[in-house]
Amino acid sequence: MTHRYIKIGATVLVLALAFSGLLWSTLSEGAEYYKHVDEVMTSPEQWHGKPMQLHGFVVPGSILVNPNTLEYQFKVENNGHVVNASYQGIMPDTFKNEAEVVLKGRLTPGGFHTDPNGVMAKCPSKYEPAKKVG
Amino acid sequence: MASLGSFLLLTAFVVCSYTVVASVVGARRRSRRLIESGIGAFYLIAALMTVASGVIVNAFLTNDFTIKYVAHYSDSVQPLFYKLTSYWGGLDGSIMFWVFLLSIFGSIAVYVNRERYRELIPYVVAVIATVQAFFLFLMVVHNNPFTTFLTATPPDGEGLNPLLQNYWMVIHPPSLYIGLVGMTVPYAFGMAALFTGHLDDSWLRAVRRWTMFAWLFLSFGLMLGMIWAYEELGWGGYWGWDPVENAALLPWFTATAFLHSVMVQERRSMLRVWNVTLVILTFFLTIFGTFMTRSGVVQSVHAFGDDPALARLFIIFMVTILTVSFGFVIYRLPLLRARNDLDSWLSREAAFLVNNWILLFCAFFILFATMFPTLSEAIAGERLTVGPPFFNQWMLPIGLLLLLLTGIGPLLAWRKSTIRNLRDSFLWPTVAALTTAGVFTALGFRVWVSGLCFALCAFVTGTVVQEFWRGGNVRRRATGTDLFTAIVGLVGRNKRRYGGYIVHLGIVLIFFGFAGEGFKQEQQVLLKPGEQTTLGHFSVRYDRLTIRDDGQKQMTTAFVTVFEDGRQIATMYPAKWAFHKHEDEPPTTEVAIRRSIAEDLYIVLAAYDAATQAASFQMFINPLVNWIWLGFGIMALGTGIALLPERALAFAMERMPGEAAATTAALLLAVLLGAAPLAAQQHTGESDIAPILPRNEIEKSLGERMVCLCGGCGKEPIGTCTCGYAAGIRREIAKFVDEGMTEDEIIQHYITELGGQQILGTPLNQGIGRLAWLFPYLLGASGAFVVGFAAVRWSRRSEKPRAGEQPQEDADLSERLDDELRNLD
Repeated sequence: MTHRYIKIGATVLVLALAFSGLLWSTLSEGAEYYKHVDEVMTSPEQWHGKPMQLHGFVVPGSILVNPNTLEYQFKVENNGHVVNASYQGIMPDTFKNEAEVVLKGRLTPGGFHTDPNGVMAKCPSKYEPAKKVG
Repeated sequence: MASLGSFLLLTAFVVCSYTVVASVVGARRRSRRLIESGIGAFYLIAALMTVASGVIVNAFLTNDFTIKYVAHYSDSVQPLFYKLTSYWGGLDGSIMFWVFLLSIFGSIAVYVNRERYRELIPYVVAVIATVQAFFLFLMVVHNNPFTTFLTATPPDGEGLNPLLQNYWMVIHPPSLYIGLVGMTVPYAFGMAALFTGHLDDSWLRAVRRWTMFAWLFLSFGLMLGMIWAYEELGWGGYWGWDPVENAALLPWFTATAFLHSVMVQERRSMLRVWNVTLVILTFFLTIFGTFMTRSGVVQSVHAFGDDPALARLFIIFMVTILTVSFGFVIYRLPLLRARNDLDSWLSREAAFLVNNWILLFCAFFILFATMFPTLSEAIAGERLTVGPPFFNQWMLPIGLLLLLLTGIGPLLAWRKSTIRNLRDSFLWPTVAALTTAGVFTALGFRVWVSGLCFALCAFVTGTVVQEFWRGGNVRRRATGTDLFTAIVGLVGRNKRRYGGYIVHLGIVLIFFGFAGEGFKQEQQVLLKPGEQTTLGHFSVRYDRLTIRDDGQKQMTTAFVTVFEDGRQIATMYPAKWAFHKHEDEPPTTEVAIRRSIAEDLYIVLAAYDAATQAASFQMFINPLVNWIWLGFGIMALGTGIALLPERALAFAMERMPGEAAATTAALLLAVLLGAAPLAAQQHTGESDIAPILPRNEIEKSLGERMVCLCGGCGKEPIGTCTCGYAAGIRREIAKFVDEGMTEDEIIQHYITELGGQQILGTPLNQGIGRLAWLFPYLLGASGAFVVGFAAVRWSRRSEKPRAGEQPQEDADLSERLDDELRNLD
């Protein structure tokens, strides 16, 4: 009986170790920092090149489109800190002035470089708390 | 009216509390009268919730904007259909709808089982009533849908979010809720068994069907959500590993695990602790999912309500569930000891065990990854996120492994498989898999994941076909009929087993569809009118842009012509709709999809410049997507067969000659299978069926009032629908107008011709027409009644003389079948 429990224990241990190892290695590749613009822009150098999701608000009037292309330049701010961002591709409908956005990409000395399909603007969900009306 | 609603909820809460106390005290003191009173009070909750639902639905119908909830989710111009469905469109209403469904299901479950599981019932009632009490408490103190405006009432409501004004979105939440709520019933039975210590396998029999039923609706709800995302959100995919999607998927995994492991307990009296645990986990995950999506604990790009007070209440409730449930499991461990040991790892029970571990691992992995941002913030103080690639990286191999086990499990014998069994059972499926892999390689496809998936699909299909073939042949020899009748009889005799195989076939088709993802092609492009682009073997020409307004919304439609090998094959109309009531929200994307069984061409109008007519498009080729929906259909069919009462088919067989039964079954199958592609085909959009500009007021008005009935396009207005059926109706209308008929005469013509008002988007607001919206509900209610009645009849009948005999016979037959199959050479 004890022999059997040792066998079971060993199997479980090996499996658990294997899974944690795999999980760890894939996580370190797959995980991205989730940061607000002000957290990053206080000391931008240390974030250069790291994969991250950047949370902020589009600065009104900052959206520029290169005519007849899908190249966008815009500014994102949070708590007074601003970063220049660039993106090439189709923008979601929700992307507009003052929109709350999450950008997926990397910070470079020239600004935030957004991945393809990396713009996520807050989209309306039916579970938003009821607005305080009246 | 609002105060009546609040009063009803409060009363329901009080009655709930009474129900819990009366049932528990009654059971402890063995007082029949208290128990009966508890059951009566339990039915009363259902009645109260029904009336309360009636009140809120009435408020929506009468545009009672004094109620905040109504003002927020409806407005006076909203179509009747969406007014009704706004009931579950928001947080407060969805909780109320949850309690309403739970009270109805709970009552049916208690009514059906009250005689057979006399000892368990008081505790079942108490557990369900406790869950109801929790949600009612939430509503009474925190999220009352009947809250009114204290000061000024707005003149009109804000309207339901346009994204949710979609046919699929209307039926998706109820289906999902039925699935999630349904899981409470098995939990209540499990807990009752734990409380009373009646832990023989009888409680399993009571919950097996319920779990299957809830599982079916959960699957269906998930699929509808996928279709909605695919058709309405316009990002070219159907599953994005969003926390809301994941929340509904978690209990699906544990429920699936339970449906498998329950068989091991029935056959071998093993895995008893495991099964109780799965039932508890499934229920817990339904509550956890509700918590996750509604309390703001997980941040997502979707703006879920951030509500710490609600989160706190949920956490208290969840901790209580876990403590009490697992506390009792530990307390009852001596009674839950397995009566058999695992004989061999080469046995069906071992395969089930492995399948369970993997399913459970899926659930926990998704839970972990979904909660990872929150976890990392709590532990490391740094918010880290993981995206869909991370999920895919893990779920892809796990999914393939599960698919492999789907094939292996049914081929292994109970207890222990011998080498000879293995050779017999695995030969042909393996040949099928290798052949597919060979053909795939020879054809030059180089996506190895998809190739592996195709091979595994062939393997599982091989096993299912082999099971039907061998079982059918054994029965054919035993009964002396033809093979087809024998197979129908086989399914009839052992509905769970063969229903299960059909479900596996559905799973295969779904995986087949998933594998298509490996060949997905995407393109983002900016075009001026007349310009052309190429995607895969399609050439796509952008012709022009039109902007129209129908009063409710401004519709910008791009006309796109599609060529294949230089031949024009379709005109497509991707569009953007800007709803006037929601000008601060983005316009909705109306994707144009050209469906075919091999691939979908999916075109999104992403942005446009009205001045230059330049438009940017996002185009996808999504291979094999439609197989996913078809697979769900097959899965539902299989579950339906497994769910049939034991005697339903036998009863039909006795009165029908074998051939007639066989033909009927075959016809039914053909209709079911034929319907899906047919419906899809009708909505492809041929060149001559473009929505034409209405020539006059009558045509314009009818184009908006009448809806397309082809069945494939979710009742689009006739004026804008792009399918052949709608085009035909438009031509007919044009003819009638030319003949000088008035609008009312034309409508009357269709009502007479079709025998009802179904062609009208909103029923005529006169006489019997006012009752028309009741129809789906009446149909649903009578369906539920019929099912309930059949279940009662069946449970009574099987209790009398056949009690021990009927299942015995079945077990004997399948044992004999297994033996004969084993001896087959």
